Amino acid sequence: MNRIEAALEARKETGVATSPSTEVAEPASKTFADAVPEESQSAGATPVVRIEHLCKSFDGRVVLDAIDLTVPRGKILSIIGQSGGGKTTLLRCINLLERPDHGSIQVNGEAVFADGRVVCPDLAALRRSVGMVFQRFNLFPHLTAVENVMLAQVRAGTPSRTALERSVSLLRRVRLAHRGLAYPDQMSGGEQQRVAIARALALRPSILLFDEPTSSLDPESTVEVLQVMRALAQDGMTMILVTHELPFARGVADWVVFVDGGRIVEQGPPEEIFDRPGQERTRAFLSNEAAAQPDA
Amino acid sequence: MHLASGPFKVPWSDYYGTLFDGLQRTVEYTVVGFAGAAALGLLVALMRVSTVRLVRLPATVYTEVFKNVPLLAIIFLTYFGLGSVGVRLNVFEAGTTSLILFYAAYLSETFRSAIRGVHHGQREAAQALGLRRVDSFTRVIFPQALRLALPGTNTMLVDLLKSTSLLVTISAAELMSQARLITSATFRALEVYLVIAGVYFALCYPLSQGLLWIERRVHAGLPISPRRRRLLRTAAALLTEEEALA
Ligand SMILES: Nc1ncnc2c1ncn2[C@@H]1O[C@H](COP(=O)(O)OP(=O)(O)OP(=O)(O)O)[C@@H](O)[C@H]1O
Ligand SMILES: [Mg+2]
Repeated sequence: MNRIEAALEARKETGVATSPSTEVAEPASKTFADAVPEESQSAGATPVVRIEHLCKSFDGRVVLDAIDLTVPRGKILSIIGQSGGGKTTLLRCINLLERPDHGSIQVNGEAVFADGRVVCPDLAALRRSVGMVFQRFNLFPHLTAVENVMLAQVRAGTPSRTALERSVSLLRRVRLAHRGLAYPDQMSGGEQQRVAIARALALRPSILLFDEPTSSLDPESTVEVLQVMRALAQDGMTMILVTHELPFARGVADWVVFVDGGRIVEQGPPEEIFDRPGQERTRAFLSNEAAAQPDA
Repeated sequence: MHLASGPFKVPWSDYYGTLFDGLQRTVEYTVVGFAGAAALGLLVALMRVSTVRLVRLPATVYTEVFKNVPLLAIIFLTYFGLGSVGVRLNVFEAGTTSLILFYAAYLSETFRSAIRGVHHGQREAAQALGLRRVDSFTRVIFPQALRLALPGTNTMLVDLLKSTSLLVTISAAELMSQARLITSATFRALEVYLVIAGVYFALCYPLSQGLLWIERRVHAGLPISPRRRRLLRTAAALLTEEEALA
């Protein structure tokens, strides 16, 4: 099924689901793409990421089992789920840090992985269009904050002066201009993570992937980082957010996917998943998480 | 009065030239030997962290062989041994080759563990930023590995300088050979070798102190290259402008 067919199909389904005369056998919005209003799907809007039937095993153990996922432009998808459920692996497959076994991945309409093979002609270019923020701050310790933000730009051919100016303005955007010349080990966890966000933004990616960006931070730093992420969301950045900060996910995400045992157990708009989860496993997970977060 | 006893009787002013030549040779052996050993050692280290077994294997064999054979044996093999089968290296070639082969084995161990010591998250972060393999190595992995490797490498440099004295066995005209020459002319072994030991000390001590100074600077993250210093100055100016605006 090619892209256009897929888009038509998606529109048809939406049409069917919203038509009052038709009996609705399935939930109105089965996937994120279907749930997005028609106008944003028209005009040839390709989703930023489209994943179909993605499978991955480690040493014969299935970690991702036939995952289908679509992220339209400007939207925020949140992935929640138990530890070991495959969330990190899923994110790492999108920029091919991890090699899937089967399925296909399209980024900005271009196939980067298909039929079990990497078909992306330029991995570096793909990764420049997909920004990633890791759980543990992976800043380069031998470089100052501003150099961390600069490096990839300069390597991608941006003149040094331009890259520097852009890095300074990105640091301002994460409210760290005053820490530009600090080394990572001189910064707090929250500051480091905000520099990491600035660094991921440096190449103007079309999507940002966050892998539990606040899970190793103290509450105060968590608030700082979440503020920056909320601002990004308001600016219309497309994001996939793996997080245990459920209240935040609920507030910022357009769509929530609950993953367990390498499968998508349930997905839907945040209100639906958090208030009226349809699956027993989702309910169990949510009540567990609520118990683990006394302040939530 | 020339026959009076006491250690200091060598007419040193006659031997300044000889000593100076020896000093120069020693420095040449050290510089060429170390540069070669560092380059070869880095290559071998890179081979040893390769994912391809066929690349790793020869590097491992090389390291193990040259780590476990005495330097003197290597010197004799390259000079007398190869000479006897028609591969004639002159003294300088044989001397530097021996030093390079021997120290590259040790340096490759130091470099390998330094490269391994850089957290794997660093490589991933570089990859995720779309850095190409070469850039990821030269801009992210190598600078960090260099810091880790610096202390061990510096020790090796001083050790190599001292080991050039073994080249006396092939009359390499370095300090030790010159010392032997002066001794055979003056028969004052104690005095001559004391002075020579002093010269080695005068070379090695400032060298190792200087290297320690560099180590400390590098560890503090202080910029060494003028280019980086300029960049950081410009960045500082821009950043304070930002602050003033904010
Ligand atoms: N490189 C690897 N080799 C072998 N097994 C792996 C590898 N990476 C991940 N796994 C396994 O795959 C499973 C899914 O891991 P993953 O890190 O994707 O889960 P996660 O949902 O991100 O968990 P967490 O919430 O703890 O971060 C785990 O059981 C993990 O042990
Ligand atoms: Mg994870």
